[in-house]
Amino acid sequence: MTTTSGNESPSVHPAAEVGDVLPGFSTHVTRATLVHYAGASADFNPIHWSDRAARDLGLPGVIAHGMLTMGTALRVVTDWCGDPARVLSYYVRFTKPVTVDDTDEGATVTFAGTIIKVADGVATVSIEALFNDTKVLGAATAEVRL
Amino acid sequence: MISDTHIGRTYPPTVPYVVSAAKVAEFATALGDGANPAYAGPDAVAPPTFAVVLSSAAWAAMFDDAELDLSLSRTVHTDQRFAWQRPLRVGDEVTATLSIEKVRVRGTSAFITISVALDASGDRLCDATSTLLHTWPAKDLA
Repeated sequence: MTTTSGNESPSVHPAAEVGDVLPGFSTHVTRATLVHYAGASADFNPIHWSDRAARDLGLPGVIAHGMLTMGTALRVVTDWCGDPARVLSYYVRFTKPVTVDDTDEGATVTFAGTIIKVADGVATVSIEALFNDTKVLGAATAEVRL
Repeated sequence: MISDTHIGRTYPPTVPYVVSAAKVAEFATALGDGANPAYAGPDAVAPPTFAVVLSSAAWAAMFDDAELDLSLSRTVHTDQRFAWQRPLRVGDEVTATLSIEKVRVRGTSAFITISVALDASGDRLCDATSTLLHTWPAKDLA
């Protein structure tokens, strides 16, 4: 996976206000990305590497692991707060599949985040993940200890 | 076939899994975050969603339960929640225990909510809750 931005050096953000927009980034998810994630996560469901298996389930072709999109999206939060240990909770709905054609570019997914709540030393971040201008994660929110 | 009578069913914990530095680095790299210093060195934590490596290992017990008539290949993951007590760290010896929390059957489909508790040395690390949509072939129910 290549990253066009994000992954800045860690820093602490004790100040967080509702409405703050966190730096976003884009990734190119290729078939190689999916193979790598399959091995790392031990999720070998063939719909993530076989067009034939994906089409048997009514999909247009190979799709990315939902958990790959979920895990990548959380970098919006961990890059911002600088410390993954501050993440208290994380929820997503998988609303649309990310189809990954067998091309060098693969699928481009763009991530962004906004702080929607700050209370009792905890910030709630709403995360957006867009593929072809469509949201692929629904109600994606993470709680972070400030 | 699974039904609401199975709500509350809990399976034995998985065989303990020791989180290794190599696996944490591999997982971080797969998320495009391999250069993040939090995931390397003697105080390394695992990327938060590494919890799925442990929680999904516990799914096998439910799919192997013949009484439920479920197949992983006919299952779609529709939502996921993690609530961490603390991050998973290199060296943690983790077990995962699955419980069936909710079952809603409609026609040939079932929405199943499962909760997987991740524990190390008696301490709760994380609760991973998933909603799965399972669909049976229509002919099986004829």
